[in-house]
Amino acid sequence: MENLLELSNIHTFIGQFHILEGVSLSVPKGSIIALLGRNGAGKTTTLKSILGLTPPRQGSVLFKGEPIQGRRSFDIAAKGIGFVPEHRAIFRDLSVLENLRIAERQKGDFERKEQFIFELFPDLKRLIKLPGTNLSGGQQQMLAVARALVPDNELLLIDEPSEGLAPVIIEQMMAAIQQLSAQSTVLLVEQNFVVASKLAQQYVIIEEGQSVKHGRMADLVQDKATIHRYLGAA
Amino acid sequence: MQSTLANRTAEKTSLADWWKANRGLLGLLILLIAFPFLLALSEGQSIGDVLANEAGNAKFMQGLLIEVFILAIYALSYDLILGVTGLLSFGHAMFFAAGAYFTGIAFKNLGWGAGQTLLGLVVVAVVQALLFGVVLPRVKGITFALVTLGLASVFHIVVQSTEMSEWTGADVGLQGVIAPEWLNTNTARFQLYLLTLLATFLVYLIYRRFVDSPTGRVCIAIRENEGRALMLGYNTFLFKLVALVVASLTAVLAGFFHTIHQPIVSPNVASLGWTVSALLIILIGGVGTLSGALVGAAVFRLLEFFLDRWFGNAANFLLGAVYVTIVLFLPYGIVGTWRLRSLDMAKGRARLMKLLGLGKKETGD
Repeated sequence: MENLLELSNIHTFIGQFHILEGVSLSVPKGSIIALLGRNGAGKTTTLKSILGLTPPRQGSVLFKGEPIQGRRSFDIAAKGIGFVPEHRAIFRDLSVLENLRIAERQKGDFERKEQFIFELFPDLKRLIKLPGTNLSGGQQQMLAVARALVPDNELLLIDEPSEGLAPVIIEQMMAAIQQLSAQSTVLLVEQNFVVASKLAQQYVIIEEGQSVKHGRMADLVQDKATIHRYLGAA
Repeated sequence: MQSTLANRTAEKTSLADWWKANRGLLGLLILLIAFPFLLALSEGQSIGDVLANEAGNAKFMQGLLIEVFILAIYALSYDLILGVTGLLSFGHAMFFAAGAYFTGIAFKNLGWGAGQTLLGLVVVAVVQALLFGVVLPRVKGITFALVTLGLASVFHIVVQSTEMSEWTGADVGLQGVIAPEWLNTNTARFQLYLLTLLATFLVYLIYRRFVDSPTGRVCIAIRENEGRALMLGYNTFLFKLVALVVASLTAVLAGFFHTIHQPIVSPNVASLGWTVSALLIILIGGVGTLSGALVGAAVFRLLEFFLDRWFGNAANFLLGAVYVTIVLFLPYGIVGTWRLRSLDMAKGRARLMKLLGLGKKETGD
């Protein structure tokens, strides 16, 4: 299988702190791969390192076989990587429509994806003119995901999509991620192991800034010892 | 074929709709055009007197309003970079002062006409915006504010230096600038009044269009969270630079009118105090609202004028009291609070009491 994204031994510092001390992972095309680990293990930093928001000092990041480490964030994003940050990162002063439009990389991106986006998130269609600040937490999270779908992103980095959402909304969000993975490869950071295990086919575990284990999600679900050791979940 | 939602919500740009949406604004424009005539008539003078530049009080009030318009243009430019794009610059006075001084020098020392001077101002505006742009990618937030303060202070010191006195009049200020006949504030006041009024409305409309454009939306996104704009694939530096250039072009226009209208260009317009004036105006009107800059400029200048006329020496104290009241009771400014429709007297009173040390401790907000 061809790898869409390949990280080899990346080291990232934030200020003087050595956050990532060697993360390697490969994301095969057309899959959902979950990045697991405890709080502070370096999952979000891994996503940010891919995007160059916290550029890695060492190691290589290959996207479609091309090295992208050290490039500027907006160049990396424009290559076709969409990022859905944690904490519902929408623009609260812009309307729903403006939030979607601003994500256009080419004119007409939104028109082409409109139907697909509103099938995934029918709520957004109803709220199209509302300012982002008036949306509920779940709606904001949907908008944040929808925004990453507007341009043709081959890879989506989704950070904690279920965080702080009601169970029924989580179900909806999971269904949406499942559907959109038909079009884009997804690298998913998820604290909620139940959610992650249902969505992802593959996993990578990060522990203290290092990728320590990877494999098929189906195997991990059986492996209670590993789950307990690295994720603290039962 | 089913039309897409985006098409349906797209604004129709027919003239009738535009008229409908801007009735209030156009009404205000007409009222302001008529104002000198109405004032003259009410004081027993004729329309001809206004046109002949002779109506005493009406001429004086036009002069005061010209100052309001100049402040409004200047404050709009500050609102674009601070209120819309979120760049805190403490050097904005330089944008204005460079326009004012260049205009004076072009008229007085170089003998240029208005058209030539305006072209020169475009170059000045772009150059100084690029100068600010040099530091833009390297510093953010309060550091950017301090670096811009530094740049503007250098400019302030240079225009005040005795070596420059031939050009800038040093610390005395630039005097003896003779504006072209058709712009002269003494002999053609009504023309200048109309011109500055129209310029203010035009700048405001262009700014509103800019903020509604995709570029303007990215500027708002940058204000909210630059990182998010970056990861959508926007080179945020370029957008901030565009905002700076547009603001600089606008501020030099305000400076241009300032030099024409005022008998003297004081070095004060290059000082931090002048930047603070712009900040105060948009705080009064409402940061990031654009129309707040217009309202704020009117309140700022007219309040200063009338308090001074009525209370003399106590005016400055009262002015301070009014500003504190506005900040306490209208924290989003006049326009901002109006838009929210949420004048909360109780909260304002609580803030006042806290400020005076009388109130109970606020329990989490």
